[in-house]
Amino acid sequence: MASDPTPRVPDVEGGEEGAESTTPDPQPAAKPEPAGRVSGPTPRVPDVGALDEMAETEVPDPKAELEKADHDTELGLRMAEDARRVSRGELTSEAFWARHDEAAAEEFGDDYRETPNPAVDRMDDGQTIHEAAAGELSCSVQDLDEIDPAAKTDVAEGEEDVKMGMVIDLQNCVGCDSCTVACKAENRTPPGVSYNVVIEEEHGAFPETSRTNLPRPCMQCENPPCVQVCPVSATYKMEDGVVNVDYDRCIGCRYCSVACPYGARYFDFGEDYDDEVMGAGEVTSPEYGVDRGERGEQSSPVGNIRKCNFCQHRTERGEEPACVETCIGDARNFGNLADPDSEVSRMVNSERAVQLKAEEGTDPNVYYLR
Amino acid sequence: MATVSERLGYDPGFDDDRLRLAWYAVLGVVLLVGAYATWLRIDQGMASTNLSSVTPWGAWVAFYIYFVGLSAGAFLVSTLSNVFDMEGMEAIDRDALFAAIISMVVALLFVWIDLGRMDRFYHPFLWRQFTSPLSWEVHAYVAYILLLIGELYFAIRSDLVRVAETVDSWRGKLASILTLGRTSMSEGAIETDEKWLTRLGILGIPLAIFFVHGGTGVLFAVSKARPYWNSGLFPIIFVISAVVSGMALVMALYVLRRKLFTKEAIDRDLLDRLAKLLAAFIMVDAAFTGIDLLIAVSSLELETWVTIMTGRMAWSFWFVMVGMGWLLPLVLLSRESLRRTPWVMVLAGLSVVVGIVGVRFNIVVPPLVVPVMEGLPFGNYWPSLVEWGTSAGIIAVGLLIYTVGAEFLPLTPLEEDS
Repeated sequence: MASDPTPRVPDVEGGEEGAESTTPDPQPAAKPEPAGRVSGPTPRVPDVGALDEMAETEVPDPKAELEKADHDTELGLRMAEDARRVSRGELTSEAFWARHDEAAAEEFGDDYRETPNPAVDRMDDGQTIHEAAAGELSCSVQDLDEIDPAAKTDVAEGEEDVKMGMVIDLQNCVGCDSCTVACKAENRTPPGVSYNVVIEEEHGAFPETSRTNLPRPCMQCENPPCVQVCPVSATYKMEDGVVNVDYDRCIGCRYCSVACPYGARYFDFGEDYDDEVMGAGEVTSPEYGVDRGERGEQSSPVGNIRKCNFCQHRTERGEEPACVETCIGDARNFGNLADPDSEVSRMVNSERAVQLKAEEGTDPNVYYLR
Repeated sequence: MATVSERLGYDPGFDDDRLRLAWYAVLGVVLLVGAYATWLRIDQGMASTNLSSVTPWGAWVAFYIYFVGLSAGAFLVSTLSNVFDMEGMEAIDRDALFAAIISMVVALLFVWIDLGRMDRFYHPFLWRQFTSPLSWEVHAYVAYILLLIGELYFAIRSDLVRVAETVDSWRGKLASILTLGRTSMSEGAIETDEKWLTRLGILGIPLAIFFVHGGTGVLFAVSKARPYWNSGLFPIIFVISAVVSGMALVMALYVLRRKLFTKEAIDRDLLDRLAKLLAAFIMVDAAFTGIDLLIAVSSLELETWVTIMTGRMAWSFWFVMVGMGWLLPLVLLSRESLRRTPWVMVLAGLSVVVGIVGVRFNIVVPPLVVPVMEGLPFGNYWPSLVEWGTSAGIIAVGLLIYTVGAEFLPLTPLEEDS
């Protein structure tokens, strides 16, 4: 088949459907349900559903559009409809071609036969287009990286090299608690849940006194005891080193909370600020990139453990965590500890840098400058 | 030897109908209260408790480990007969097994009601975490309950057949169903029963000691963040105190059931033997706890101990744990004449059973009152009415199952030397 000079869709008239297309189906099948996803209220990725609906209204009427062309409108509509089914995974591409190949060939004639179809004409060498046909269409058939080295995308390399870290300069912390406030506002945490606190202590006797302000977010430990003890693996370290909680899996046993040496985990007892603020629960933070809509009485994260995640919903769009952004003394620094040239890495190498409770062996990714 | 037919004439239930009525009435009231409290728990969620993020575990977890311990202890007492062939112990092995099963059911009900998301109780069977003791424990508990049911089956099967053959009423029919169709009374069949009883018992000993109860101790001991728990001695103390509570319960049940249900003579030699064993284990328990305190002293991790001994809840340590769990029973168990007095032994047994509740609360709560970092708030926990109500209800469920079982099942061997 690779030697066939005229690339075209498989000839289905030969009987055995799909016998010729031994190559993997390159059609993007509809994403299967993620394994292990629990049924129940399905959390949404922010707004995508709504965006789709909005986009739908902008799409021109297919019938009107096709009627502008010389070819068969009905055939076009039928093929388009089935093509959508293929992309939703309801129809195999073999079945698609079995259904439409003949009619399409008849309608479009030689143009149809000579145009390569990347969906089915993938060659053994991995190319989806035959070189001869490519030449005819003035296409380049090299590796994408060779064609445009600037666009080279080495995903693995990029991912390995991220370890989110925070360095808090205690000399710059004035104990204003605005990080705590910003955190509560950003993450819309309920009463009793505060991903960040500032431990404020006064030492000595007048006039020899001093004061220590110790902001305490989650340490995002390298060896997190909370992850170790979770019976259902609902809490785990992400590739960027941040410790995550899967609200859809967490059973609310609170073992992680008991195991955390920093008291950084909070149980959501389902309380709210409705008495203080009207409609306090109407907007929730899209934590871990999931918008759960209005705060429900019994729906996650109520009944789950909650914790600081370095404002993942912010960092994934390139912003700093809210506490870092708001810090008035610029005491908080956030960045990539895996990059030796980053500001946070340089700070961590300072002699002033310490980790909290280093003897626990947790190896926090939050450092303090004394 | 009393003849089998004579014993079959008996009704294994309450001897006194008025007592039966009163007992079920009490249970019924407690169950109603428990049901209402459980409804509040489900409706209001965890906000109905006095738990907090500082003290995330409380009464329910304390009762959970208490009943796991009771179960492991009762089971280990049953192996004295089933595995170690200790003389006279076969009289109590069924009681012990049945109590072990019920305690485990009660323990799991406590774990369940303690989950923030009760609807996700099955998640530990879908997702696991190799390094989590709790993940292992959940599986060990299920295996252990199945093993206990298997043991009880092999222990009472031949008597179930006897009941099914000689009693015409529905009681006979129930017994016939419970035999699961294995009705042969041949020597071979009975030998098979005994063989499997021993086999399951041998399998159950490590399961109960290392996984079920030792493992529950490990659950706490791995927590480096809580120095009070983070001791290699901790799981061992767990097992010892489990045996103490289990043995005390079995001893009390032995006397109570014979006094109230079957009106049979109490074997004073057996009582004396049980009482001596109990005294020995209480002393070992107290000694290990003392060693644990010494370790805390020398490693300067005394904050939790100070909280336990001088804090707001110090009475639960001195009066419940030390007084009822150790001192009072040791006094009652000290003289042979007392050990041979059934009612005194019931008192000693129940005193221990309650005292160990104090032990369990003092395991769970005080380390969660002391903050993990200086400057973080202290916890302040006393169970809410909903927590007390649900706990009473769950315990009543256990008592109900035990009573019903004791009324219908041949928990006293039908063939017994009198």
